[in-house]
Amino acid sequence: MRLLDAELLESREILPAQFLQTFHAPWLASGSRAGQFIHVRTPDYSGLVLRRPFSINTVNVLAGTISIHFRITGKGTEWMARARPGERLDVLGPLGRPFEVDRRTHHVLLVAGGLGMAGVRALADESLAAGRRVTLLFGAAGASEVYPSSLLPTEVEYVVATDDGSLGHHGFVTDLVPEYEALADQAFACGPEPMLAALARLARGRDARLGVARLGRKGGRSSRSSGALGTAAARRRAWLQVSMEQNMGCAVGACLGCVVHGVEGPVRVCREGPVFAAEEIAWEAPA
Amino acid sequence: MKARKRVVTDRVRTAEPSPPPRRTAARGRGLPNARPSTARADQPRVPPAALRAADVDLSIDLAPERHGQLVLGNPILVASGTFGYGIEYSEVVEVERLGAICCKGTTLKPRFGNEPPRVTETPAGMLNSIGLQNPGVDAVIEKYSALWASWRVPIIVNVAGESIEDYVAVVRRLDGVPGVAGIELNISCPNVGKGGLQFAVDKDAAGAVTAAVRRATDLPLMVKLSPNVADVRAIARAIEDGGADSICAINTLSGMAMDRARRKPLLGNTYGGLSGPAIRPVALRIVYEVAQVVRIPIVAIGGVAALDDVLDFLMAGASAVQVGTALFADPALPIRLIDELAAWCAARGLTSHRELIGAALPPGKGGSGHGRDRPSVKGVEYRP
Repeated sequence: MRLLDAELLESREILPAQFLQTFHAPWLASGSRAGQFIHVRTPDYSGLVLRRPFSINTVNVLAGTISIHFRITGKGTEWMARARPGERLDVLGPLGRPFEVDRRTHHVLLVAGGLGMAGVRALADESLAAGRRVTLLFGAAGASEVYPSSLLPTEVEYVVATDDGSLGHHGFVTDLVPEYEALADQAFACGPEPMLAALARLARGRDARLGVARLGRKGGRSSRSSGALGTAAARRRAWLQVSMEQNMGCAVGACLGCVVHGVEGPVRVCREGPVFAAEEIAWEAPA
Repeated sequence: MKARKRVVTDRVRTAEPSPPPRRTAARGRGLPNARPSTARADQPRVPPAALRAADVDLSIDLAPERHGQLVLGNPILVASGTFGYGIEYSEVVEVERLGAICCKGTTLKPRFGNEPPRVTETPAGMLNSIGLQNPGVDAVIEKYSALWASWRVPIIVNVAGESIEDYVAVVRRLDGVPGVAGIELNISCPNVGKGGLQFAVDKDAAGAVTAAVRRATDLPLMVKLSPNVADVRAIARAIEDGGADSICAINTLSGMAMDRARRKPLLGNTYGGLSGPAIRPVALRIVYEVAQVVRIPIVAIGGVAALDDVLDFLMAGASAVQVGTALFADPALPIRLIDELAAWCAARGLTSHRELIGAALPPGKGGSGHGRDRPSVKGVEYRP
């Protein structure tokens, strides 16, 4: 974690009101992992007192750059969208804990809902670089909000679902998961909480549906006793990891503002997360 | 010199560095800043031109009655709830340079806190409704006291409770723990149902809880005022009479925000505490009012985001300030304020920031207009 001045190199509106910004920040580029985030300071004079958290979207170690992807949702992101190349932004990062991919995983399934693409995008690059196959399921409200495939590496198998059926599968992205769950050794997701909760329910039933035998020491990976919940090792064993979102204050674990309900009590999205194994979260029952 | 010519600091030690802050009661006793030495009062003032920032004495005693048990190296503290237990920000902040750290509110039993979402930004401020999430006093001592004892910076533990017995029990456990330099009594948290605020809105209850805690410990005791009352002065007086060593003002203002899309209150707890620059004028007014009715030092808190704010609070009668919300955006701010305050004083020939304390108070009310007959405890002596 460091405080640094990152120069904005490029700002592109890739979708309506959605921006992709690239910053020169060599320390972040070489020192961060997929799933981690940065906390960007917005200007004081506008009366904004909090930083804004953004997942690290892509990393280019050679160029020393990182990118973030955001939608204009308020004054802070509006200001950021107006920032021009050459401006320097005050960035705190990298923060939070990354996705944990098991060494033996050959095929990763990424599931993104809308802006959730920003949360899992970096893992696509990281997995490809590690020689893994990547399938990315993406859900959006309509065709106009579908993440352009041109921004993804060609090796990624990209499957789209839209709520209105204007592109790809007509329905939720979670509908696609049963088709792909057998292929994937691990799944990683980011998106609205109901989507993540639905995925967590699917993940719980996966072993039974696929007839996966629970072998190995201490009864296999479903056993809680085989590793403390929340450790990197326990997460690496989980089939589904999710990147959570919550209003954030300090982003370093001091203010306890960004907690979500974990099965063992409140957990901080900024410190224990933003990535959690699905079984660490106490999901709300579907409405 | 200026109108402040008749004012002399009680510790004219311009060439000496500030005394190191002390952590424990035992180590604090008998060190050289307990009482003013009047013999130095006749000596000529150091000419302004000779002052360097490093010569400015920023030390401040927040428990003058306790013989230097809580002498801070500088008057910039970090506020409870915004700095965790000190360790969270240590990668990006030189925590040991801070005047003191007020740690997260600590209760007798672990508390899960309020329903998320717990924070949201509001115009020039933020609302929070954490609800005193903490692992309980025993876990706090076990986890952090060794680290605190190894640090140069004094740690003031913020204590909250639902009953007087709770407060006393927590304070008893903290008494004598290495690394705990003082207690900040949180009788004004607006985010918990039972207890919390009820002690801060009633002068008898405020006085009673202060007195009970005072009997339970020899640790320096700071009590945090709530702004959510009609007149804080009676409460401040009751707290002083209860035996507090200093008063901290103010806690957050009760407020709320709406989630328009879902047509319901945004915070999981409905209500939250407002902090940040939005509440600074309220804090300034309360510090100014309280400074006129109590003799113990006042620690100002509420929207401090720049040196100007520190100066304003000092002039209103505060001896030190706490930085809270502003450090979320700028974690380096508290350390920068220390340097800026020293430079500001040096540039104006002030040997210490203590010369500013209460400068704006009305004459006869602790202000600099006329002498007053009682000795000051704010580090400023007036000639009769």
